[in-house]
Amino acid sequence: MIGLSAYLTLAALVFSIGLFGVLTRRNAVGILLGIELMLNAVNINLVAFARFSGNVTGLVFTLFTIAITVAEVAVGLAIVIAIFRVRRTVEADRLDLLRG
Amino acid sequence: MAPSIGLPLAVLALPFIAFVLLAVAAPLRRAGRAAGLVSILTMALAFAAALTVWARGLVVEATWTWIPADGGPIASVGLMVDSLSQAMLVLVTLVSLLVQIYSLAYLHDEPPASLGRYYTYQSLFAFSMLGLVLAPGFLQMFIFWELVGLCSYLLIGYWYERPAAARAAVKAFWITKLGDVGFIIGIVLLWSATGTFEFTELFDKAQSVSGLPLIMFLIYLGAVGKSAQFPLHVWLPDAMEGPTPVSALIHAATMVTAGVFMVTRAEPLFALVPEVLTLIAWVGAFTALLAATMACVEGDIKRVLAYSTVSQLGYMMAAAGAGAAQAGFLHLLTHGLFKALLFLAAGAVIHAVGTNDVFRMGGLFRAMPHTGIVFIVGTLALAGVPPLAGFFSKEAVLGGVWEAHLTGPFLMLALTALLTAFYMFRVVFIAFFGRAHAGGHPHEAPWLMRGPLWILALLTVLVGLRLAAGGLAGGGVEGHEEAPGWLAPLSVGLALAGFLLAWAMYQRGVIESARVATALGPLDFMARRRYGLDTLYAGLYRGIMLGFSRLIGWIDRYLVDGLLNVLSALTLRAGARLRGIQSGKAQDYVYGVAFGVLLLIVWAQLWR
Amino acid sequence: MTLETVGFWVVAVVLLASSLAVVLTPNLFHAVLYLAAALVATGVVFLLLDQPFLFAVQLLLYAGGVVTIVVFAIMLTERLVGERLVQTSRHLVNGAIVSAAVFVGIAGFLIRSPLDGARPAQSADVTAAIGRALFGPFAITLELLGVLLVVALLGALHFARSEE
Repeated sequence: MIGLSAYLTLAALVFSIGLFGVLTRRNAVGILLGIELMLNAVNINLVAFARFSGNVTGLVFTLFTIAITVAEVAVGLAIVIAIFRVRRTVEADRLDLLRG
Repeated sequence: MAPSIGLPLAVLALPFIAFVLLAVAAPLRRAGRAAGLVSILTMALAFAAALTVWARGLVVEATWTWIPADGGPIASVGLMVDSLSQAMLVLVTLVSLLVQIYSLAYLHDEPPASLGRYYTYQSLFAFSMLGLVLAPGFLQMFIFWELVGLCSYLLIGYWYERPAAARAAVKAFWITKLGDVGFIIGIVLLWSATGTFEFTELFDKAQSVSGLPLIMFLIYLGAVGKSAQFPLHVWLPDAMEGPTPVSALIHAATMVTAGVFMVTRAEPLFALVPEVLTLIAWVGAFTALLAATMACVEGDIKRVLAYSTVSQLGYMMAAAGAGAAQAGFLHLLTHGLFKALLFLAAGAVIHAVGTNDVFRMGGLFRAMPHTGIVFIVGTLALAGVPPLAGFFSKEAVLGGVWEAHLTGPFLMLALTALLTAFYMFRVVFIAFFGRAHAGGHPHEAPWLMRGPLWILALLTVLVGLRLAAGGLAGGGVEGHEEAPGWLAPLSVGLALAGFLLAWAMYQRGVIESARVATALGPLDFMARRRYGLDTLYAGLYRGIMLGFSRLIGWIDRYLVDGLLNVLSALTLRAGARLRGIQSGKAQDYVYGVAFGVLLLIVWAQLWR
Repeated sequence: MTLETVGFWVVAVVLLASSLAVVLTPNLFHAVLYLAAALVATGVVFLLLDQPFLFAVQLLLYAGGVVTIVVFAIMLTERLVGERLVQTSRHLVNGAIVSAAVFVGIAGFLIRSPLDGARPAQSADVTAAIGRALFGPFAITLELLGVLLVVALLGALHFARSEE
């Protein structure tokens, strides 16, 4: 019997892996991939809770999250491409103009 | 205010009024001779008042509260007139008056503004010295003590453009200040033990004070500085940079005697500490001998007289230490007369010849007979030849020291008597007799200078005769009663021996002075270099004071500044490190967020 | 050992493996493909949770749209065609520690919570329930979402403009 905690643990693992990707990837696009994973994990969480509580709000929330994620990816990648045009690189280490 | 206090008060107030007038009314002061006349006039009136006080034998004491407190005033000011202060009043006003008259002629080449400044200082000095003499307690005495020291500084450095004079003034101030430190500490200790500064009360309460020897020793230190006892005597020869009338007044008759006066005034206190008295006697006798040896090799006529003053001050202190304070005080009075005489006469010589160096003088007696005569009179008095005043006071001192069974000091003082006669007649023979030198054109001094000279010479003789007739009535000093019979012939014999020695060496040339110098080689060497004391003091000053200031400078530069520099460097470095957080890289910021989340989780866990 | 259990474990393994591959592969293209696999696996998880509608949405939008966009972006941001797309990561250890710590923290919460219970019965038509909720209580949110999408579109268009 797979309980709620199993799904939540799975989601937590995927979230951590995604965080690891965000922290260690050099390429900006790679970072965005990590963010995707994290958002994915969140979605799993939402659906699991919605299923086990009988509340449909969780599912609606999931839909919204997916939609927003898509929008974010679109805009984010547009920014990455714009940066690439100017600086000819998308390496995250090189994009430090806001350095203190 | 009791009616009889009016006269002493007038004596004190008159020079003060002159001082204030001259200090405030600048046009009057800048007029030069007019300022001098104002000062002389007030001093003449003060002298008349002092004379009246002495003649009437006025004894009175009056005090006014200065710092009131519940258990009686903390400090008072006032006037104490007794036999001791009567005599001093007369001496101070008389010599001041004569010196101020003399100065009109001696300093007539000075610009009027400077002359006015001179007389302002003279009036201030007279006021200060009189205030010291009339003080009923240690506190007032100390205040005027310091004022007198200030006036000494101002007058020694009268010709302040001269570096030597400026240095000498500062040196005098510093050295006497050393003694004054002990003095004030002693005074305060005494006050904290007894609760009073006033002499009359102290005489009653002093027996019960513990640690009295130390306190009286500290107080004695003030006299060591002011009255040029060894080792604080080094300022007096240098003080000769001041004008000669100043030397006559301050460094012969009045200021330097303040130390002796103080010891005499506080005699009941010193009598309670015989060990300190013995020390005073030994130091006094040693000072007398030491200074006499230095006078024997000195070529500057004023310096000879300065060393002579140190030597005679040693006599006075030795007498006080031997318990014969009255004898010492008598010597103070007589010495004041003939030493002032000698200085003023020397001033006349310097004024005429244009140099202080006796070896550039010679045969002056022919050109300046008046000066010569009075100088010889002074010399005889100083050497202790009867029936002049010096003989009686010197004999009293020697008698007192002998009576106290202080053999060492007695021998030193006896030897000093011989040397005194020797070095004084040495000067007489070199300067006034022998071959004439070409320097200047020696002429007799103007009457404004000669007058005071003759007055002082006459007084020396008259006082001597009076003493011979048996004691000064109302002068507060008694002639000695029971001196050993051989003392008088001894002192005369010593004087005669000194005279003969000088005559043989310098007048007749029978004994070569150079050969004597080589025979007494080491002594001659040391005496010429003032026994290295000045070098020692300069070395100590340079070593200790400058070393100390260098240390402080190092501390300031390396520790204080260093501390600040370290702090600022640390701040800068910390700032640079902290700046690293702002790397501009987004991933680093995510790290930050992750940390924050972790912290929140931990906190949430704990808060359960 | 029910089918459900087996299915869950299989899907879980696939999901975790592909997630790890996404963050560890040096080659960015491969990473994207692995992401696609992870997204599909997530969809299957939804299925296991009795949500077929969301499974479909996931496949359409995520596995379809997002992956495509990312692939295009990668192509546009590489300098030379044919250059090996390298992707070395930095501070692997630091990142691993932090991520592990976050997981431990979350797991800590999970351990302490009473979470195991049976699934409640589910109404037959979840989709309709979602639809009703969307146009009912969440209507305003839906409209705002639409606005957001328009804004994103405009933004993307702006950035995609060629330099003038």
